[in-house]
Amino acid sequence: MATDTAAIAGAPRPAQRDIPHTVSPGLWTLAWRRLRADKVGMVSLAIVLAFIVMMILSGLGLIASDWQREVGVNYAPPTFLGPEAPATPAPEAVVPRTAAPAGSNYQSKIVDPIGDVIASLKAGKVPGGPLPPETAEEKSVDPLADVMSEIRADKQVEAKAEHRVRLATLPFGGDKWGRDVLKKTIKGSETSIFVGIASAVVATFIGTLLGALAGYYGAKVDDFLNWFYSVFSSMPPLLLILAVAAVLQHKGIVTIILILGLTGWTGVFRLIRAEYLKHKAREYVQAADAIGASNARRMFVHIFPNVSHVVLVQLSILVVGFIKAEVILSFLGFGVPVDVVSWGSMLNEAQNELILGKWWQLVAAGTAMALLVTAFSIFTDSLRDALDPRLKGRTGA
Amino acid sequence: MGAYIFRRLWQMIPTMLGVVLLVFFLFNWVGGDPAYVLAGKISNQEQIDNIRRQLGIDQPYYIQLGIFVKQIVTGNFGASWSTNERVSHILITRLGPSLTILVPLLILDTLISIALALAVAYVRGSLTDRLVMIVCTVGLSVSILVYIIVFQYVFAYKLGWFPVQGWGDGFWHNLVVYASLPILIGLVVSIAPDLRLFRTFILDEINQDYVRTGRAKGVSENRVMWVHVLRNASIPIITNLMSSLPGLLLGSFLIERFFSIPGIGREVILAVERSDFPVIKAITVYVAFATILTNLLADLTYKAVDPRVQLK
Amino acid sequence: MTSAMRAVAGTLHVAVALLAIGALASLSIHTRVAHSASPADPAKVIRQVFPAAETGFDPAGAQDLYSGTIEQAVFETLLTYDYLARPSKLVPLTAEALPQITDQGRTYTLTIRKGIFFADDPAFKGRKRELVAADFAYSLKRLVDPKLRSPWAWLVQGKIVGLDALAEAARKSGRFDYDAPVAGLATPDRYTLVIHLTHTDYNLPYILAHEPTSAVAREIIDTYADESGRAMANPVGTGPYRLKEWVRGTRIVLDANPDYRGFTWDFTSDDPADQVLIAQMKGKRMPQIGRVVVSIIEEDQARLLAFKNDEVDLMDLGGVLAPNVMDGDRLRPEFAARGIKLSRIIDPAIIYTYWNLQDPVVGGLSKDKIALRRAMAMAYDVDEEIRVVRNGQAIEAQYPIPPGVVGFDPGYRSPVHYDPALANELLDYYGYRRGADGWRALPDGKPLTVRYASRPDSLGRQQDELWKKALDRIGIRMEVQKDRFPEMLKAERQCKLMMRTASWIADYPDADNFMQLLYGPNTGQNNNACARIPAYDRLYEQSIRMPDSPARDRLYHDMTRLIEVYAPWRLGVLTYRNMLVQPRVLGYRKHPILHNEWKYIDVSARDPRQ
Repeated sequence: MATDTAAIAGAPRPAQRDIPHTVSPGLWTLAWRRLRADKVGMVSLAIVLAFIVMMILSGLGLIASDWQREVGVNYAPPTFLGPEAPATPAPEAVVPRTAAPAGSNYQSKIVDPIGDVIASLKAGKVPGGPLPPETAEEKSVDPLADVMSEIRADKQVEAKAEHRVRLATLPFGGDKWGRDVLKKTIKGSETSIFVGIASAVVATFIGTLLGALAGYYGAKVDDFLNWFYSVFSSMPPLLLILAVAAVLQHKGIVTIILILGLTGWTGVFRLIRAEYLKHKAREYVQAADAIGASNARRMFVHIFPNVSHVVLVQLSILVVGFIKAEVILSFLGFGVPVDVVSWGSMLNEAQNELILGKWWQLVAAGTAMALLVTAFSIFTDSLRDALDPRLKGRTGA
Repeated sequence: MGAYIFRRLWQMIPTMLGVVLLVFFLFNWVGGDPAYVLAGKISNQEQIDNIRRQLGIDQPYYIQLGIFVKQIVTGNFGASWSTNERVSHILITRLGPSLTILVPLLILDTLISIALALAVAYVRGSLTDRLVMIVCTVGLSVSILVYIIVFQYVFAYKLGWFPVQGWGDGFWHNLVVYASLPILIGLVVSIAPDLRLFRTFILDEINQDYVRTGRAKGVSENRVMWVHVLRNASIPIITNLMSSLPGLLLGSFLIERFFSIPGIGREVILAVERSDFPVIKAITVYVAFATILTNLLADLTYKAVDPRVQLK
Repeated sequence: MTSAMRAVAGTLHVAVALLAIGALASLSIHTRVAHSASPADPAKVIRQVFPAAETGFDPAGAQDLYSGTIEQAVFETLLTYDYLARPSKLVPLTAEALPQITDQGRTYTLTIRKGIFFADDPAFKGRKRELVAADFAYSLKRLVDPKLRSPWAWLVQGKIVGLDALAEAARKSGRFDYDAPVAGLATPDRYTLVIHLTHTDYNLPYILAHEPTSAVAREIIDTYADESGRAMANPVGTGPYRLKEWVRGTRIVLDANPDYRGFTWDFTSDDPADQVLIAQMKGKRMPQIGRVVVSIIEEDQARLLAFKNDEVDLMDLGGVLAPNVMDGDRLRPEFAARGIKLSRIIDPAIIYTYWNLQDPVVGGLSKDKIALRRAMAMAYDVDEEIRVVRNGQAIEAQYPIPPGVVGFDPGYRSPVHYDPALANELLDYYGYRRGADGWRALPDGKPLTVRYASRPDSLGRQQDELWKKALDRIGIRMEVQKDRFPEMLKAERQCKLMMRTASWIADYPDADNFMQLLYGPNTGQNNNACARIPAYDRLYEQSIRMPDSPARDRLYHDMTRLIEVYAPWRLGVLTYRNMLVQPRVLGYRKHPILHNEWKYIDVSARDPRQ
């Protein structure tokens, strides 16, 4: 092997390019070959890729970007069911007439400090008197005057759009506001998959880094990190999540990713630490030591490619777990912000819709999630089989 | 063996200290001042201060931490801040309903999963095997929230096979009437992953030399599977189940809320909502303790059943 | 099912229920049946559901509605409300008559009825314990005992002569001296209570009808109190029911108090809808219900399904479930056909969104800030909230005083309307200019972002969506701030929130309970808008010295105008409370102030459906 010769010869030529190339191409090429032979695996990979393409398209704003538009009537049923029979109009609600207080006809003499402005604006006039400078400027040489009038024009278009006729049915039904459930599901896939992948990356990164440090250095470092690990893994997960959520306050999707990432790294840590313990003693690492590679170099350039398949499989398992966990976070009230939709927020909205007979949002979000998660899990199994054929036939927990 | 147990127990102390610090930091330092809620709809600063004094949250942090440690050592966590119920009483009364669901769930889940896992492992690689695995994967991919909503609607309401919710007095009454549907949902959620996992454990054993030897010696296939393979595969299975118990205790909060079961998971959610720190502290500490202890027990079982296992 | 089968099934059902009840009842009251005074029939069971957990049953200790509901069945106050009179009317309960008011509303004299006894308890050492005036004096003192840290201290604090000094002394000495005489709580004889107030207050009678002022016996508290002086788990009162069984957060069972004196059902009403129940109930000895079983079901789906499955007799429907059950203001035909009844009131509560007037972005009383708040108020579509969030079970609030509360003006129409176009023009006029991204900035060019605080639950999320849509309409960027309730309340009291939607339910049915919400000195307490509007404060200070009168109504009108003009609030909606009632329940009508109606109702022995 090139590495060995280089090491033996003590050649000054850097070895970093050779090691991954000589060790890993075989592994990855072989794995890809095996994976391609696995039909079920390839089908699920195709489904996963389709979802990812959908996520990217939606992220770029090419599809479902108008999911917030209220296009249908409230709870518009799916088109294949046909429109709902018009409900009998609710009689006008009337406040019960109890005896009116004697002071009822009293005219208050309270002065409205901006009453004159409002009255003029209502009458369609620009109010008289000294105008604030900005408005005066806008009248004459306001550089933004064009923009402003455009915005105004847009606003009027929008205002008109809001009063547009709402559809009685939508392809897969509407939610309580009349938003298209299909579009929400597509847009929701963007959020859910992104949250799943991003938080899995965070958790895997933390787990791998700490696991590598613990496994590689051993001794005091290992003791400390192992202690840290056992503290985290002994905490009840539910309480850990609630506590981290309280600590991070609520700032949006990043918070969700951090909550999941910071509480979900322990499994990766355990596995990676064991792998590093095993590899540390291997010959190729000793060889790297001999050529004077630094610790960091040995850990990440030499050993890492050899454990990267474990990392990849763990990452894949975590993605599935976190997509599901997002639903529970939403239930606990720590879901995505209002202007974002996710499968978790949809399922939680749909919680009370089933008893109303409006099953479509529950089914749409539930099915989309089940489809992706199933495909992802099967793909994970295939990936594991491909990367480590000794495990063939096993499935993950 | 004795030395090992002693060392493991000794190692628990720093871990527990870490848990204590983490709980204290997360819930006390960063937030959770219930004084404003406890003070009522209309209150003044004097009342707020009075409440903070009564609860001891006006003390410096190191003193509060000292009190916390003392509470753990004595096992006396005082009373809930919002209901004044003794924390020990809360734990005792909520544990029963949680276990009424969990223990039968765990037993049934184990038996069914093992039986199915043996069956599919026996026909490993066949169409049936792959099909069952795919059904499991699909079953796994549905959110538990969806299972609960749909099962409660269909089985309890539409079909009327179970009461929609509730909890009674007698153990058997609860188990038969109120716990059945929650247990059923628990089974649907837990069999899929367990079946997949147990199948792996069994396949590990099937590929061992002793199985081949057994077959070569003419031991019947049934005997090989049910006696030899199962005995050896049961070690990882049992340890796996044991270590999942503490997590399940709180993890079943969704089921407990939807079916109005007075269990410990629901109590945790309530306590966090109310910033009821004594309850949170006690539950965290006890569950953490149980987790560490069951991990130790799992390792010991491993050792006891299989002497080849090296304890480090 | 054929009718014969149904009959058999029904009989079986009843038989099983009776067996179960009989078995349970025989355990507890086998020794008391002989001398039972209460006409309650142990076989008559009413099952109600709460949507949230109770905390405990010490009148001075618990503050939530559900604990209060139980307390009202176990304990008794001096006064109560007439069951059917609307608007709510005070009537004596343990007092002989309504209080004698002298000294320009500063002295209240009450006489307690003789021969009222507490339910038996070991703490009374086998003696019958009569209710006396000193019990009420003791119970009122408990509210200010620092050790108890009662959430109800405000009901009496700063009002009763000498009581605050006693509390102050207790704070210093660490021990509250219940035996020390308080000038404001005099008991000249065994049955007379004279309350002296520090200043005129015509709301005291309402406070004496509020369950925190119920009579507790000192022996009971001394026997069962915990470290904080509360007896949360051992309620013993003079009321019609006793706590029989309590699985916290799940089930509360009350049995009739056998020693309860009882009364004859005799209520009248002008409302034609009430005549049927009057005919059914008139002249009956009450209470009839022998057992009350309360289940706590938090999840909406579970609650409705339990009612539909006939596992519950009485349920507060709530807005979320309304479309499933209601068709506008009445029950859907399938429910009506089953004989299910509906009792519908408007809650004596308001829901309003406030802006923190001390906040540098949205607060302040300068014209541009007023314009900003009023533009936001105009951008909010209350109709959409009613339609989508409240499912039609609400109406727009016009006046800060809700119906059913003295001072409410049914004729008043608020001039604040949904008008996003005008809101935009107003913002343009005051220089809140849109940037290139379409969002407005402050007049000085600094960025403008409004933070809306809400709770992490589904209602909170829907409110977020509504307000986000409102502020989007006028180009104001909005962020949502989520927090657990205790944290949010803390930030609110410290005037650190920017805006939030809050609600206030009447503690007593008088306008003052609502108008005090914006009184400047109440900042840091319950003036959550942190408003200090000098004109409002002046008017409020005049109003509290007046009894209900046209003059006081005029002040309230002026104060309402100030709320509209300075816009510390956007008044939201008034919600309906829809109580669903199973057919077997007789005589039920939801009372706007009383928490439970158990002692006024009955159940027919046979289900009318069968």
